[in-house]
Amino acid sequence: MAHLNQQTLLVFATLIFAPAVFLHLTNKNTSAVRLYMVQSSAIAALLILSSFDRFSPLIAIAIVATVAVKIFIAPYFFYGLIRRHQLTFSVTKYLNTPVSLLVIAALLALTQSQFFDALAVLSTSGEKLLRLAFATILISLFLSINRKGALSQMLGILSLENGIVAFALFAGLEQSPGLQLGITFNILIWVIIATVFASMIFRKFGSLDVTAMKKLKG
Amino acid sequence: MALLILTVAPLLAALASMAVRKKIMALEIIAMIVAPLEFAAAAAIATEVYREGHSEYGAYLAAGPLETVVLITVALVGLAAACYSIGYLREEVRKQIIGFSRVRQYFVLFHFFLMAMFFAIITVNPIIMWIAIEATTLSTAFLISFYNKASSMEAAWKYLIINSIGLLLGFFGTLLFLTPATDSGADRFIDWHALGESASSMNPTLAKVAFIFVLIGYGTKVGLSPMHTWLPDAHSKAPSPISALLSGSLLNVAMLAILKFKIVADIAISASFSRSLMIYFGVVTITIPAFIIITQKNYKRLFAYSSIEHMGIITLGFGFGGLGTFGALLHMIYHSLAKSVLFFSAGNILLKYGSTKMIKVREVLSVLPVTGVLLLMGFLTITGMPPFGIFLTEVYILSAGIADHMPVVIVVLFMLLLVFAGFLRHIVDMTLSGNSSTDTKPGTIGESNYLTVAPPIFLLTLLVVGGFYLPAPVKSLITSAASLING
Repeated sequence: MAHLNQQTLLVFATLIFAPAVFLHLTNKNTSAVRLYMVQSSAIAALLILSSFDRFSPLIAIAIVATVAVKIFIAPYFFYGLIRRHQLTFSVTKYLNTPVSLLVIAALLALTQSQFFDALAVLSTSGEKLLRLAFATILISLFLSINRKGALSQMLGILSLENGIVAFALFAGLEQSPGLQLGITFNILIWVIIATVFASMIFRKFGSLDVTAMKKLKG
Repeated sequence: MALLILTVAPLLAALASMAVRKKIMALEIIAMIVAPLEFAAAAAIATEVYREGHSEYGAYLAAGPLETVVLITVALVGLAAACYSIGYLREEVRKQIIGFSRVRQYFVLFHFFLMAMFFAIITVNPIIMWIAIEATTLSTAFLISFYNKASSMEAAWKYLIINSIGLLLGFFGTLLFLTPATDSGADRFIDWHALGESASSMNPTLAKVAFIFVLIGYGTKVGLSPMHTWLPDAHSKAPSPISALLSGSLLNVAMLAILKFKIVADIAISASFSRSLMIYFGVVTITIPAFIIITQKNYKRLFAYSSIEHMGIITLGFGFGGLGTFGALLHMIYHSLAKSVLFFSAGNILLKYGSTKMIKVREVLSVLPVTGVLLLMGFLTITGMPPFGIFLTEVYILSAGIADHMPVVIVVLFMLLLVFAGFLRHIVDMTLSGNSSTDTKPGTIGESNYLTVAPPIFLLTLLVVGGFYLPAPVKSLITSAASLING
């Protein structure tokens, strides 16, 4: 991605980072899915831009697959889940919003600290981008842990994956198109299986709140 | 060619099983053709690796001594689990617990699961290995929720979410490890060999960060504490043959991933870094389940916690290095066999008593005479009683740590004692006690069918013989694998 200037890349990094933060703030499931779509669109745009200097038909297929899975198929499954079970609002979180924001701020500060200098060596010119992508990873991880809703947990995991892809792109660690296709296929299967499970959980427990699941003992 | 068979045969078996209509027998025949074929392919690979040092098919599939050790265990437990599944599912169908479509779903997922494990072991690319290990999560999630109960659904969801997060962290670590190979302008399809060659030019701090991510990520799948929380639920809720595969095979496959990255990390930085981390995780992973085992009330969870404890012992062995590495590799094999025996026995008990609660299981020795003996023998083996093999491997592992890590060895010895005491209490209650007011004696006495006892007897025989006599080719493979890990 050497042909792109840092300011442009920073805009993309922000478009990937900001939805991860807003995912913590939103209480509506549809908004959460839209935020994931925004984040995924930024990732797709980055993939397209990064492919300009090494374009091939297989890369085009890999990009189309990524766009299809992340921007259309995954949200389609999530919207289906929301519609089917009337899940307008996401269930609660373990930490309330102000405390969650404090944790996010702490995580962000941590990624800017010297602890993560080791990761910054991957790209001296794009150090800010790497730190922002790594903050996305940590904040998404926190989302999966902090949310009690199964849908939010799924979105947290997918946002975490987006953060890792962004980090790889900023660090110049893009994989071959074949591998990218494999990873995308993996995500597609994961989304399908997780959505089916979420539906099954709703039918069994009458809620997607994971704290309602208390059948395991011992 | 054998490497190709290992990936194609289970895939074809899964597809053929999908196409089966109404005949359970057809599903059983497919399983009984493919499982021995897979084992034969694994044995052929092992022979080739023993003779020539490695086996490869094209540029994408390969196996060295380390992969072969894991491959043989997976194929062996896979073969035993396939046979056992037939007997186990027949009994469940007879009791009308499940019907044809469930049996078909089981075998389709069973073959996909084995394919994913074989592929993870023999692929030369770290990213494809990650995809394959993630595929094991996806294929087994529905096997864990197989009985469609609320508790199994909960276990499967926990398994899916925790492992997905763990594996994504492992993926991040993998990408960091690929940095030097990508920088060198090498082909984008980077194999383990290229990764090892470029490791010396890797930034040491980056290598440390990468290894931490890999250890935590794949360690979640191994069941290392404190990331182990999904394991007792998943292993106890799955059908018993799947529990055996999860404990006896999948944990080893995930451990293989850690070991492969350990080899790379040790080139980039001093081996002491990865070793000290593995010692730490090893001790924690032995300690936590040791206390839980004592208070356990469910025998399948008891065995699952025991798997965690043994993964801790294995990790500790790799952390100590030297003879400990040899012991840990041998321990992986013995543990796979012993834990499969125990989970198959657990399956037989569940079929007979209809409960996984230990308080409801009494007089197993008189109700299920063969299973009772298997359970007792399995208990003696898994707790490391002499003269069984696990006793020997634990001696190897602990003796490797005596010189430099004496306090660790003392703590671990105490924990092993605790585990023995916990197990002893539970197993004696289940097999010999019979006067509990809460016991529920099943109506009939005797085993369900011969297919539910033949596979564990076969594995136990291997285990007992293997404890006294280790064939030269096996010893040679383990020694070669250990020297690769020790560097």
